[in-house]
Amino acid sequence: MKREAMPTGAMKEFIRAETERILAACTRCGKCFEACPMTPYSPVLAGADPKAVVTGILALLREEGNNPEAIGWTSVCVRSGSCVPACPENVDPKMMMRIARMTASGGLGGEKRIAARHDRDYFDRVRAFAKLQLTEDEIKDWM
Amino acid sequence: MGERITFWYGCNVLRHGDIIHSCLDILRLLGIDAQPAGGPDYCCGTGKDENQTAADGMARRTVTKFNAMQRERVVAWCPSCHSHMTEFMGQAYPPDFALTYLVDLLYERRQDLSALLKHPVPMRVLLHKHVGFNDKVAVNEKVPALLRLIPGVEVVDDGYAAPGYMCALLNLVPKAMADMNRETLRRVALHRADAVVTIFHQCYREICGLEAHANTKAFNYIHLLAQSIGLDYIDEYKAWKKAGADAAALIGEKRLAQVGVQFFDRALLPELMKRPLGLDPKSPDPKTQPAVVRGADED
Ligand code: SF4
Repeated sequence: MKREAMPTGAMKEFIRAETERILAACTRCGKCFEACPMTPYSPVLAGADPKAVVTGILALLREEGNNPEAIGWTSVCVRSGSCVPACPENVDPKMMMRIARMTASGGLGGEKRIAARHDRDYFDRVRAFAKLQLTEDEIKDWM
Repeated sequence: MGERITFWYGCNVLRHGDIIHSCLDILRLLGIDAQPAGGPDYCCGTGKDENQTAADGMARRTVTKFNAMQRERVVAWCPSCHSHMTEFMGQAYPPDFALTYLVDLLYERRQDLSALLKHPVPMRVLLHKHVGFNDKVAVNEKVPALLRLIPGVEVVDDGYAAPGYMCALLNLVPKAMADMNRETLRRVALHRADAVVTIFHQCYREICGLEAHANTKAFNYIHLLAQSIGLDYIDEYKAWKKAGADAAALIGEKRLAQVGVQFFDRALLPELMKRPLGLDPKSPDPKTQPAVVRGADED
């Protein structure tokens, strides 16, 4: 059975829906921030008020404001996921932080608040390593 | 042949042809018909936080291709691809396949796998763990269980798990990467481990720098399974890391010409020469230059 081609734009739709869900569900209790193992790596987060940081994250999701602590937390998030079980409202703060990072790096069309990496050789490097270790047939059939 | 799967190996594991080849041999020996798929044309797009238009296109393209392959399940090697499919791609674009992580598949088939593990690998190992991803797949428990099937392997009990879900993202927070390297070396010494063993290729890429620069043997868990089965693919990436500035001589002129000497010098060599962050500055390695901190290759 031939499937209909899927329309484009569904990822952005999904991210928008998740953003709305998070904004509605989060009570700004700050427990996710308290559970994060990465906060010591951002100097701006020393002594930060967890509730204020999360308020800044939610503002970021709404494309409002440039709270330095929210940007600082977003910048050191490496997706440990320790925040997920800490959240009493099942918000999924890892998703919240991921969308905050997409937003802060301009990925959803708004202002760029954190420097995004740009590695012009990324895919060519992957292809080069493949050429060094796979046969021509493997490259043709597997990539 | 048994179950028909797509083996979605990802992008950056293409640095480790030996790992891809070993996985495919293991799957074949387990009676699984695995079609490999990976590289840029099957990229999940997880590294594209700064461009969700591009990420959207990649997600749609990759899910569409897997749907067209009509295999019972897609078995992912890469934790980033697996996470991105679970959290984003598969939420936006309906998949016609079940998604499994390779460790879960090997664990499901551990009795059959055990029968293949004939050669002893006498080694006391420290497993390199992370905090994340375990909500999706209990890798911190299942990988030691798989390693303990290998005759001769002893996995030390150690509670340390680095932040994040794999090492590559720690490149964005160099102090965290340095702490992870120092803590790993400290625990290898504490447990008198013969080697440190990684679960993911993103960690192996970093940790095998410890063999090159800190005299600490490093493997991925697939290397030990392969060794015990009797597969003998060569870990060229580690050899290149250990050769550092001399890696080109190991690669040879013919292969270098295939990738282009200039491109190799610009885009591959700095990574091969990179000294792991956090090592004692008093013991510089004369083969290398200072670390080059690049962006994080997530997948
Ligand atoms: S995401 Fe959850 S833990 Fe974090 S502030 Fe909101 S409700 Fe609290």
